[in-house]
Amino acid sequence: MNLSTLLIWFLRLLSTGLALYELVVGPLVNSVLADVSLPLLSDQVAGTKWFALIFAVTTWASSEKRFWALFFWYWPLVALWACVIAPGNNWWFPSEPLSRAGHQIDGLFYMILIIVAVTFIGTEFALGYALWKSAVRGKDDKVWFSHGSHRLEIVWTIVPAFILVFISMAQLDVVADIRVLNRFPDEVQSGPVAEVMARQFEWRIRYPKPGTELMTTPQPGDLYYVNELHIAATVPTMVNLRTQDVQHSFFVPRMRVKQDAVPGLIIPIWFDAEKAGEYELLCTELCGWGHYKMKARIIAETPQQVSEYLTGLQADQEEDGVADEE
Amino acid sequence: MNTQIRKSLNRYHMISKKDFATSGSIQQTAWLCLAMLATVGCSDFEASFSISENTRSLAAEAQNGTGESPGVIALTEEKFGNPQSLKAWTKLPVNWGGTSVSVAAVGSDGDAGTSGESAEVETADATETPESGDNKVTLQVPDESISLPNTVSSLLVSSGESAGQSVAVTSWDASTGEAILATKLVLSAGDQCTLDAGKGLQEGRVLYMRHCSHCHGTAGDGNGPTAQYLNPRPRDYRHGVFKFTSTNDMSRASRNDLTRVLRYGIPGTYMPSFLLMEDDELEAIVEYVRFLAMRGEFERKLVVELSSDYSKDAMVSRIEGGETRDEIVEELAEFLELDMPESVDYVGNDLQEIWTAAETEEARVIPTVARVPDTAESRRRGRELYLSKTLNCADCHGIDGAGNGPQTMAFEKNPITNEKYNEPGLHDVWDNLNQPRNLQAGIFRGGRRPIDIFCRVYSGIKGSRMPSFKNTPHEDIWHIVNYVLSLPFESDPGATGSLASSEVAGGAEAGD
Repeated sequence: MNLSTLLIWFLRLLSTGLALYELVVGPLVNSVLADVSLPLLSDQVAGTKWFALIFAVTTWASSEKRFWALFFWYWPLVALWACVIAPGNNWWFPSEPLSRAGHQIDGLFYMILIIVAVTFIGTEFALGYALWKSAVRGKDDKVWFSHGSHRLEIVWTIVPAFILVFISMAQLDVVADIRVLNRFPDEVQSGPVAEVMARQFEWRIRYPKPGTELMTTPQPGDLYYVNELHIAATVPTMVNLRTQDVQHSFFVPRMRVKQDAVPGLIIPIWFDAEKAGEYELLCTELCGWGHYKMKARIIAETPQQVSEYLTGLQADQEEDGVADEE
Repeated sequence: MNTQIRKSLNRYHMISKKDFATSGSIQQTAWLCLAMLATVGCSDFEASFSISENTRSLAAEAQNGTGESPGVIALTEEKFGNPQSLKAWTKLPVNWGGTSVSVAAVGSDGDAGTSGESAEVETADATETPESGDNKVTLQVPDESISLPNTVSSLLVSSGESAGQSVAVTSWDASTGEAILATKLVLSAGDQCTLDAGKGLQEGRVLYMRHCSHCHGTAGDGNGPTAQYLNPRPRDYRHGVFKFTSTNDMSRASRNDLTRVLRYGIPGTYMPSFLLMEDDELEAIVEYVRFLAMRGEFERKLVVELSSDYSKDAMVSRIEGGETRDEIVEELAEFLELDMPESVDYVGNDLQEIWTAAETEEARVIPTVARVPDTAESRRRGRELYLSKTLNCADCHGIDGAGNGPQTMAFEKNPITNEKYNEPGLHDVWDNLNQPRNLQAGIFRGGRRPIDIFCRVYSGIKGSRMPSFKNTPHEDIWHIVNYVLSLPFESDPGATGSLASSEVAGGAEAGD
């Protein structure tokens, strides 16, 4: 018994077992026995049982050679199905995008995903086709040698080249909107609301004194806090990103904002929170042994609440430890 | 050609046959290695509280004890335990955690008001363990604001006939407060108990080991694995001294002070902010840090009791003076047996007193006057005081506040060994070289609020060479605070004409 046969038997038993469990045993047990609830893959990921069934049937219904050809046809199907159901299951991203740039970035991602999926499925089908053709050929058929096809090679060089150029053009606008200062939204043209200073291993925030503009150097009356940035929800906000020591990276997963903080540079970044609430801010540049500690939160609230927060911060920062007589 | 290959193949075959025994043992070794690799890391990790350098300076008998009498190491372990099994010396003002309750009823007749369902569960228990009826107690919280915990694993009795006894709880109903105890205890209604006593400290330990110990060390000795990369060095708690406190110069740090440091970090150092931790987590860590600080202080103070007569150095000079080692050890044994228990009590009482006092209102620095308005005149007065002979801030911080005063160039004497340090500059009680703060940098480690700077001046920075200026009138301290807070914005801080520039700065600020 060679390796291939062994593997086929293994796959036969595995897929048949899975298919039986997903389609027959699991649901039956769950419906008959009230207090038993077997975990079913199909409950987690829709359609799993049908793929298990198709696979199981394939393993039994074909000869060894044909099986391997079908095996290569099977995976593009799985890939196609995975691409279709993935967004609904939040497999690609931690959540739906919660910022303007987030929608654009996710749009780009899905565009590239479609291109890649079509390419993958196409090439896999071609591979499976080649295998199938030799699997069904009679024993006495002549072997056919190919010395290649220049025309085909030109086609498969030029088509991907066009695709790559298309992708690079399509992303230009998105990158410009995120990165290029004069394409920043109108709402943030008035300037940054705070300075976010990354340091090992925390985020130090500096707001300008209420009513004044943020300067690049600390000013009297500036307000300081650490690991918590308050911004107004729904409107774009700009902050100046800096680092005091090594390279860090400002990452808010739910807003899809990611920007390196580079020593010596003041990097303006803008983002907006579509919903009020708390957003996680992480460092995504391995910055030292305490990198994992470098976590902060961004609190998106109404402009009224932000100004109340800043007033409170100002009062706290002027605290002189003497209780007011009034 | 063909035969040659076959020959060489044969030779190869022969060799491999001959070596078969060896290869078998190689295989065995490989399997053994694999098995070892698979089980590596499965053994329990045992942390230990390191023994301090101080204790190490004592003679071996003083460290380890003589005969029946325990030495410093055993005494410390007896009172504080080890990281695996912590001990609560209940005399100490540590919030050990757990829920205080009192016994409402004992035995199975106490469940008059319970619902049918819970009664059913109780009878099911009763059939399994016939005695459980006797082991059942109903507990209640002293007032409605506290709720019973959802899970309970132990009960510590603190008053009544069984006071001091601890027992495992095998079954617990949070809605009724009914507990089934693993063993029978003599309890009567009204006895005070604690559920899961010490739970807070245990939680603090887990969090501390996860987040803090890699710098501050398991024993809080400031010597964890990552400590060597840091400057300034992480705090060694074992002196019981924390630099940035809101308490007066002779007091220990309060819980609030430690919580503030945890929450906001210490800018300019590697102590990061733990703002995102939950309040109860911070609370648990603070208690554990206080526990470690008290443990370290306890150990230090016991060493002080012994060091003048029984340190390694003292032993050497006493032997030189004509005594024999056996005589000294005999004397030590007597001291450990007769005087040490008293010393332990004394040190314990002392720790209880100072750490309790730190939490009181009397210990807190409260300025008698509100902050003086931050005017150019106030800053000028602050600068005068800063440069004055009596306060002499400039001696360390420099005339322009850059932290480069003449003292930074002087060779200090170590107050303990009375020898000069090898490098010039100011040293703290941990023997670390301290740079006086550069006040122009705008980084204030203990916080930038006026009250923070006030406390730094009023109480000094504990453990460091920054002294307390508590005898200075509060109004004057506020002038200094105003001056210090203005320093980062001075264009020419050391210039004699600084009055004019601060006026300009103040004016511009007011103009905005």
